[in-house]
Amino acid sequence: MKFIRIILIGFVWFMFVNFISYAGEVDILLQKLVEKGILTPGEAQEIKTETQEQIKKEIAQGKYSNLPQWLQNISLKGDLRTRYQFRHEKADNNYSKDTHIGRVRMRLGLDTKVNEQIKAGIGIATNSGGDPRSTNISFGDKNSGHSSKMEIRLDYAYAKYSALSWLDIVGGKMLLSDVVWEPVDLIWDTDITPEGAVFALNKKLGSHLDGFMNNAVLFGTADTSTNADPIMLYMVQPGLKYKFNDAISLKSGFSFYSWQNVKNKAYPTDSWYKSSNTKSGTSWVYDYTLITPALELSINEPFKAIGLNVEKLKLFGEYVNNVHISDNNTGFGLGFQLGSDKINKFGDWQCKYIYAMLGKDAILDVTPDSDRYHGKTGMRSHEGIFSFGLGKNTSLGVDVYRSWSIIDTRKAPETVIQVDWNLKF
Amino acid sequence: MKYVKLLILTITLMSFGLNAYGEKIILEGSTTVLPIAQKAAEVFMKSKPKANISVRGGGSGVGIASLIDGNCDIANSSRPIRPSELDKAIARGKDIKAHVIAMDGIAVIVHPSNKIKGLTKKQIKDIYTGKISNWSQLGGDNQKIVVVSRDSASGTFEAFGELALDKEKVRPDAIMQASNQAVVSVVAKTSGAIGYVGLGYIEPSVKALEINGVMPSKETVLTEKYPIARPLFMYTNGAPQGLVKEFIDFIKSVQGQRLVDEDGFVPLK
Repeated sequence: MKFIRIILIGFVWFMFVNFISYAGEVDILLQKLVEKGILTPGEAQEIKTETQEQIKKEIAQGKYSNLPQWLQNISLKGDLRTRYQFRHEKADNNYSKDTHIGRVRMRLGLDTKVNEQIKAGIGIATNSGGDPRSTNISFGDKNSGHSSKMEIRLDYAYAKYSALSWLDIVGGKMLLSDVVWEPVDLIWDTDITPEGAVFALNKKLGSHLDGFMNNAVLFGTADTSTNADPIMLYMVQPGLKYKFNDAISLKSGFSFYSWQNVKNKAYPTDSWYKSSNTKSGTSWVYDYTLITPALELSINEPFKAIGLNVEKLKLFGEYVNNVHISDNNTGFGLGFQLGSDKINKFGDWQCKYIYAMLGKDAILDVTPDSDRYHGKTGMRSHEGIFSFGLGKNTSLGVDVYRSWSIIDTRKAPETVIQVDWNLKF
Repeated sequence: MKYVKLLILTITLMSFGLNAYGEKIILEGSTTVLPIAQKAAEVFMKSKPKANISVRGGGSGVGIASLIDGNCDIANSSRPIRPSELDKAIARGKDIKAHVIAMDGIAVIVHPSNKIKGLTKKQIKDIYTGKISNWSQLGGDNQKIVVVSRDSASGTFEAFGELALDKEKVRPDAIMQASNQAVVSVVAKTSGAIGYVGLGYIEPSVKALEINGVMPSKETVLTEKYPIARPLFMYTNGAPQGLVKEFIDFIKSVQGQRLVDEDGFVPLK
């Protein structure tokens, strides 16, 4: 009987492989064999389903073998965002400035697999003069204007080596998400693509528990014209993610940052750094050693019990303390996100609120979100975001910031309203 | 320099810590398959005391991802592998092999006094998503439908959502129960109730309905005539070998299939 079964499996397999269009006839054949008592219904079901799964795999493998390897491994992704931005700045009772600008951002990325263990990624993006914290370009550039051509720069270029199932080593100019986990953009502007190397450990520690540890060595500057040591950033971020059940999970991280060779270093002269609060004269005043615990609680369908259909609620927070000094050295961000997890189709919606405060010397002010009070420290800010899906891969977003200085007695409040049309491809 | 040392020390410690396991088989994935896998592992280890089998839940997607990443030996799944998962596996040089270990059939049950003998899949979907709320809309008595469902953490809830509700959400006023037995108990005591349970849980105290004109039974599930049914899988990387092969062979054997039957699923033998 076993021998007959093996022959039948082989025959069915042959039929599927060579005559896939006759799959319906194979079903009939199996049915007949069941009726004649040669196969039980269970055996027929087993043969049919396992063969279907095998065919599915063969087709997928065939897809790979019919195309050149380099082409199979490449994936492209990108996005385009057009923005209207209003900014109201009030330095004191006698002075205020209102500006209205249009902006565009384009990003295009390519990922490819070099071999079984190594992946490479290259991305380009619009940019203005090399600004690390923005990929926007404003319409009507103040110098050239009149629809002058815009600038595109290398956004990232990295290699990722999966040395072990739980260890990735990334090197180059990397995506921020490969370097650090951050639930709120308090310390890092998400446009920054850090440069250096990362050892990322990820391991399942139990059926409900995952552990991770990001270890980074990043370059701040590397001036080879003098003997001076370069500004370096060393970071270790261990963390855990615990899934209580299908609905609730908690992710936590505890980062340790050590900026080296910052104190007394000349401040960069590029235009996007000129409004710093962490410099004195032309140099930085302190070194920065930061500890930053962070938490994010995710709840799926949080209001199901009262009949409200909301996909996800996230509550998050991050605290930072520059232990190198004792004044104006702390900051925190708190907030929530409610609605769809991702905006992918018409009707998806998401709202988000963040309250952020950064003491003047809590962090080095080359990294925080450039839209929040010009990316400066010594501020507090409310941010509200609403996004709505207009169709597949296209959405509308409104982002409002209301920020104040906490070191200027005039407070110098600022309101920024951004209306974005986003396209993903 | 001290940070580089710290980094190296950290990685080294993690390496030792994370790899300090002995040889064993790890099964991971579907919560639906979990009870079968656990019971089979228990019985298998009794007959083979040196075998060390660890069974984890997490869901089908988690199990398949874990198999692709090389973190488990067998991925338990209550659905076929997705093309995107297959692509990922092939890209990583894995040769995923499917093993059907049982069938899962879900019976829709009502109170024995209910006049209704059968429903279509669409009518079930309309009841569970809130479009139909009274039995009179289906030719029954003028009585409010009391919808009973499994809680969202259960594999049966997930399967029912996929097979009967096209992944639409269950109406918010549904009474959620933590076990098949609890669903049977509520439906048996409530004249307007409707619920769903694994095939093995049908009792005389409730009435199973025909779906699209087909009664749920082992035979109609195995022949796929009954529409709320699906195969349950164990996936391996390549043809199973050694202890993995012995375990898969055991679960497919008459003894293993008896355990499947005891858990309320439909055995293949």
